[in-house]
Amino acid sequence: MGELFEFLHALMNDPFGFIDLPIRQAITDGVNWIVATFRDFSRTYISPPVRGVMNGVQWALDSVPPGIFMLATFILGWWAASWRVGVFGVVAFALIGFMGVWDQMIITLSLVVTAVFFCVLLGLPLGILSSRSDRFYAFMRPVLDIMQTTPPFVYLVPAVMLFSIGNVPGLIATIVFAMPPVIRLTNLGIRHVNSEFIEAALAFGSTKRQILWKVQFPLAMPTIMAGLNQTIMLSLSMVVIAAIIGAGGLGLEVYAGLERLNIGQAFVGGIGIVLLAMVLDRITQGFGEKAPGVGDRD
Amino acid sequence: MIRAENVTKIFGSDPESAIPLLEENKTKDEIRELTGQTVGVNKASFDIQQGEVFAIMGLSGCGKSTLIRCINRIIDPTAGHIFFKHPERGELDITELDEEGLRALRKENMSMVFQHFALLPHRTVLSNVGYGLEIQGRHRRQRREAAQRVLDMVGLGPWGRSYPSELSGGMQQRVGLARGLATDAEVLLMDEPFSALDPLIKVDMQQELTRIQRELHRTILFITHDLDEAMRIGDHIAIMEDGQIVQIGSPEQILVNPRTEYVAKFVEHADPTGVITASTIAMPLDSDEFLSAGERDGISYLHRKDLPHVRYGMDRDRRLHDVQMDEQDVPVRRLEEVLEDEDARPAASGRTGVALTCGEDTVLRQILRSRLVSTLPVVVTNGDGRVLGLIDDPELINGILEKRGQIS
Repeated sequence: MGELFEFLHALMNDPFGFIDLPIRQAITDGVNWIVATFRDFSRTYISPPVRGVMNGVQWALDSVPPGIFMLATFILGWWAASWRVGVFGVVAFALIGFMGVWDQMIITLSLVVTAVFFCVLLGLPLGILSSRSDRFYAFMRPVLDIMQTTPPFVYLVPAVMLFSIGNVPGLIATIVFAMPPVIRLTNLGIRHVNSEFIEAALAFGSTKRQILWKVQFPLAMPTIMAGLNQTIMLSLSMVVIAAIIGAGGLGLEVYAGLERLNIGQAFVGGIGIVLLAMVLDRITQGFGEKAPGVGDRD
Repeated sequence: MIRAENVTKIFGSDPESAIPLLEENKTKDEIRELTGQTVGVNKASFDIQQGEVFAIMGLSGCGKSTLIRCINRIIDPTAGHIFFKHPERGELDITELDEEGLRALRKENMSMVFQHFALLPHRTVLSNVGYGLEIQGRHRRQRREAAQRVLDMVGLGPWGRSYPSELSGGMQQRVGLARGLATDAEVLLMDEPFSALDPLIKVDMQQELTRIQRELHRTILFITHDLDEAMRIGDHIAIMEDGQIVQIGSPEQILVNPRTEYVAKFVEHADPTGVITASTIAMPLDSDEFLSAGERDGISYLHRKDLPHVRYGMDRDRRLHDVQMDEQDVPVRRLEEVLEDEDARPAASGRTGVALTCGEDTVLRQILRSRLVSTLPVVVTNGDGRVLGLIDDPELINGILEKRGQIS
């Protein structure tokens, strides 16, 4: 009787004392194994293309004189949204330049463009696949949740172990964190295309593939563009974190400023990021609203 | 052209379970209670002739939209057969086609027009009209030429470069119709095409469809919830109630002889003047309303009991020879001609003592109009010119008020 009471007492007060889940050790061992096994693979097959795209984008952006760059921003903003957005873009980039962080901004923009490029490259097919198969989407959903909610700090170190220091691990972390909206909203956009359009396409004998490319995809375009917009915002929010493991640009400005307690330097970097984010947001939103009607080939 | 045999569609988790109950003639509600399955279409059978407009009329929820989708199998019927006379391959059972065959059928032989148009908003009008041709794999130039031709036909020639959202509802449905016509499919399925349009535009579109149909002679299956529309457009009408076809017939047959209470209730409010024909309401010559008025030179004369001073002379074959009023010859003219004169110069003739003749298919509305020209009874003749009977005011009034019981 007394023994049973003791047991129940222990169970109620400290129910976790009975089992010690060796999860820490398991994960450490697991990551070590992954790093040991895939380090060569990731450094030969994943790093070079990512670095290549990044360098290409950066070279291209670097070779544009700042004046031409701002003129192009104005035209792009005007065309995608309105002349106001164009003017705003010019003012924002001018401020960045006057603050003396133009070069850092170009690096950050290259990081974002590269990350978004890979997010679309991988996310679009995964989103299309999710929209066509309920089973695949059921599998993708928890994966997407994990990608979006795991604190990036957790996988920064394994990323460094796999890809070493520099822009590449920062980019990989950014891609992982920023890709889910493209997948989610591509899936959503395609699934929400009104069934009457699908029915009409079917009634004229379209194949599933024709329905996807001639009807669903173009009609899902505004939603997909909204996903792209979110992806751009999320990758911008990663640039400071990526700076911790060696990515350059405005993020590094913030990180270095904080480290040296140089509040001014940190703020200049921060303001630069905000301005860049606002310009990119307005322009991509403009494209999103323009989307229906674009892509007509006849 | 299309023959449906016991086409049945049951919605639910286990459609097959409801089939035996349908055989026992259980109602839709009973089946839902017993099996949880919903009967959409219940053993629908009909036969659509080549080149005719076959209208299916019923209230919302009666299964007519499901039925039309069974024809091109956008919805797969649970049971039954649909036979289609393919121009090259002979008779096909649509319900047995595989995916490839089905797509070929939809591409080449059957097109569709939708209630809410279903035009692709990201494509121009011309590119929407050419959609079916694009799926057929025609070349871009050929496609645009063909699409432009059909667009001209529906009166939207200059609108090819616009987007659907820039067009009014009526114009959008013209585009929908053009898209349906562009593929040269033998069969056009139209699912309540004009229901979403304003009443005036709707009448316009009905006339437009009739005009185009006179030119193209497609086989059209036309769904509607509006009996007047069905009567105006349909060569034959099927009336649906609770998933079942309760009556099939010509507009006049349905108007005059509604087979069930349900049909009768619809018909009650229909406009009979464009449907009821002369032969239906005419007082037949052999009725006892007519008395003999003697014979002269092989011509026998008749008059109505209540109108002894107007006499009709007919030869042995019952062809009209002359009409006399108070022993005087009265001019005899075709009703259609007189109405045409009226159209050209309204009220020029006034009401005169002319005896009118009309064919057996002349509709009530025209006979009513002719009363503005002549007060004498109208003589109804058949195709050979033989006199069938007379129409005077009592027949006209009966025709409007009591439309049924006289023709079979």
